[in-house]
Amino acid sequence: MASRWQPDFEQLVNEHQSMVFSLAYRMTGDRGLAEEIAQDTFLALDKNLSKVESPLHACHWLRKVAMSRTADALRRRRVRHMDLWVEIEEQHSAILLEERGSPLGSRLEGLLATLPEAQRAALVLRYQEDLTPEEIAATLDAPLATVKSHLQRGLKLLRAKAATHLKEYVRGA
Amino acid sequence: MELKGIESEAMDDFERELRAAMHRQPAPPSLKRSLMERRRQTRAEQRGRMLWFERLAASLVLAGVASGALVWRSAQEHRRGEEAKRQVFAALRITHRALEEMRVQLQERESR
Repeated sequence: MASRWQPDFEQLVNEHQSMVFSLAYRMTGDRGLAEEIAQDTFLALDKNLSKVESPLHACHWLRKVAMSRTADALRRRRVRHMDLWVEIEEQHSAILLEERGSPLGSRLEGLLATLPEAQRAALVLRYQEDLTPEEIAATLDAPLATVKSHLQRGLKLLRAKAATHLKEYVRGA
Repeated sequence: MELKGIESEAMDDFERELRAAMHRQPAPPSLKRSLMERRRQTRAEQRGRMLWFERLAASLVLAGVASGALVWRSAQEHRRGEEAKRQVFAALRITHRALEEMRVQLQERESR
């Protein structure tokens, strides 16, 4: 009989903090808020550690909870400031432009930050986490058709924005 | 073209650039430090709450035991009171019978 996997909280934090933080940061564009979301996500994991069955399960669980907490945080912020999108977009683009090494990468990220939340979530999970549409649907608790639609529309919008703002980089867009 | 990239591994330059741009960012060192501190605090609060519940449970048990003892004692006293009352009535009945016999004897003596 195989022995049951024993989760080590600190090890899980070491392995997944970058993933959880990056998801929250790309979705919110706010380092402080992203850090707070990441902490809340890991504290929730600590509470449910006995239910986690494998390292893969822990990874899926963290991704799902991080996205859900991020959506909650964005909803709370939207309620507080109705015109927050503009702030997020500007703040996000500015931060990302400062931090990224590759100019195209940073500009693409800046443009990604201007997409609607649902499309951004789908694209972040697709291109940061390399998930399939089925996995994204499971992570976001959304129908597969909706996820595919968000991916296509998000990508199309991003291409259009890139074609306008990053002409020198995008060929055939 | 977009759907192809989304559905399969085949990606165009744009998607490849997007993927390259979106690699995971390192978490700030303060994240783990603050997280472990919050975890310690949460655990301490949980222990505090557990201790409080244990004290409450112990107090409830003690209160139950004390109330039970009081009820038991009261029942015992009631039972003893009933027993004493029964004995007093028995004594009164015996006395009454004795007095009645004496009255009958006195009446017989007077009539003679």
